[in-house]
Amino acid sequence: MSGSVLRTLADLTSTFCEHLTYSYPGAAEPALSGVTFEIRAGEYVGVVGPNGGGKSTLVRLLNGLLAADSGRVRLAGLDPATEPFEVRRLVGVLFQNPDNGLVAPFVEDDVAFGLENLGVERAEMRERVREAIASVGLAGYERREPHTLSGGEKQRVALAGLLAVGPEVLLLDEPTAMLDAAGRREVLDRVRELARSRTVLHVTHHLEELFDADRVLVLNGGRLAADTTPGELFSDAELLRENRLVLPTVPRLAAELGLPFCRTPEELAAAVGKARDGSGVEAR
Amino acid sequence: MRIELEGVRHVYSPGTPFAVEALKDVSLGVEAGEVLGVIGGTGSGKSTLVQHLNLLLAPTAGRVLVDGEDARSVDRADLRRRVGLVFQSPEQALFAPTVEEDVAFAPQRLGLGEEEVRRRVRETLELLGAWHLATRSPFALSGGEKRRVAIAGVLAMGPEVLVLDEPTAGLDPHARSELIDLVVRLKASGMTVVFVSHDLDEVAEVADRVCVLEGGEVRAVGPPADVFYADPSMAPETMRVAAALGGACPAVGRPVRYRETLSVLGRVMGAAP
Repeated sequence: MSGSVLRTLADLTSTFCEHLTYSYPGAAEPALSGVTFEIRAGEYVGVVGPNGGGKSTLVRLLNGLLAADSGRVRLAGLDPATEPFEVRRLVGVLFQNPDNGLVAPFVEDDVAFGLENLGVERAEMRERVREAIASVGLAGYERREPHTLSGGEKQRVALAGLLAVGPEVLLLDEPTAMLDAAGRREVLDRVRELARSRTVLHVTHHLEELFDADRVLVLNGGRLAADTTPGELFSDAELLRENRLVLPTVPRLAAELGLPFCRTPEELAAAVGKARDGSGVEAR
Repeated sequence: MRIELEGVRHVYSPGTPFAVEALKDVSLGVEAGEVLGVIGGTGSGKSTLVQHLNLLLAPTAGRVLVDGEDARSVDRADLRRRVGLVFQSPEQALFAPTVEEDVAFAPQRLGLGEEEVRRRVRETLELLGAWHLATRSPFALSGGEKRRVAIAGVLAMGPEVLVLDEPTAGLDPHARSELIDLVVRLKASGMTVVFVSHDLDEVAEVADRVCVLEGGEVRAVGPPADVFYADPSMAPETMRVAAALGGACPAVGRPVRYRETLSVLGRVMGAAP
């Protein structure tokens, strides 16, 4: 199947899960239970929930690393469990630990790795590798050795490796968990940019990473506890508490002060100043 | 117990093409009973530094002093019991069939009697709110539970200083706040805690002093308000709000912790312009 045919299919059909259920061998409780949702092509969807909620299991079912016990998963009409190779061309997965994914001696070889497996022509491969490296802001890094890079740079190399294959869907499984503040910012900037032209499913413990998401799925105890928007989730104290979610510092301060949603420290400072200058609103 | 690093330098693989100078010239004291936060980006030398506190790594140059005495002359096993080190992702070292047995491993190695071992295991697990997990397999626990059991294994040795290297990495927000609470309780019980993290907000909540590492050197050390307000480029969100308000409203002061910031902001809002 050529790239363009796949692209058309991906546009026409969405990613969806229907009554998806999976139990790890020997586990007393299912890791996912009756999960149903749909992601339309081009959407940016966050996935949050407590440890053990089923987030990573979902990612593994979506790219065919695990096969569902019951229910259906489809990506562009394909079942990842029976057509994993087709699906993995469409779906790139970025995992948590940047040290586990890099295999080659130089950045460009690492980015080319996926294309080599697909048997892409050498000239085309060079072009796609160059483009992918540039698209994560690492032009000039082609001959660097991955082990000399920072965590944020390594995650961006891994991301370039996914992009070179040209996936329609990116699954990001806590891509910033091992990174420091600078690395986290680098990776998040790229993710936001990529989310404009692709379908992105972004698993995270940090709600502040999902300010720009179109939707947020909340997984808890293997069940889909909510399918909502970031704005609604952030303002629903009960939903947050039930799912062991904690608001980021700035919106949390704003909520406790009875102020509208604030995203940055500067916004909150302005809102506090305005409240003072206004009517001397009672602080709670 | 007081630990002091005196001009500590550490080079990995010295004399080879792979030599890396991870610590350049670090002098730093860990005071008895304090919570010392160690912050800094990836590769700044945080993990290398803390492994010197019980001589798991020996300095290439410089000295580590324990209560004023060169640590090299202190009994190594005793030093490692007194300075308990919890590595990054400590749950990877869980190995026993049950939580109870896993936590009992270190006290048993110390040659304690069966009764004493049992007492310590129970006490530590209770302190960590994990006693109900005692008979479970450590491998069937959630990430946050595993992390707490792994920390219990170190605490059961009865250390005077507990060193936690990125203890909250990969945990959900709820499990993170549980860990922060634990640090507060340990401090209240008189324990010295060294808390390594790249999450400034978290360090701001618990640290009595913070040490900022950069490129293997101490860039700043002192009370959180002094360190953070001196350099807004690496300040927690709470402080950024206060700093953004500070110009227009000097009464804001220098709050660092969440509760403190909340009450300051509340006061500002309530005050007449």
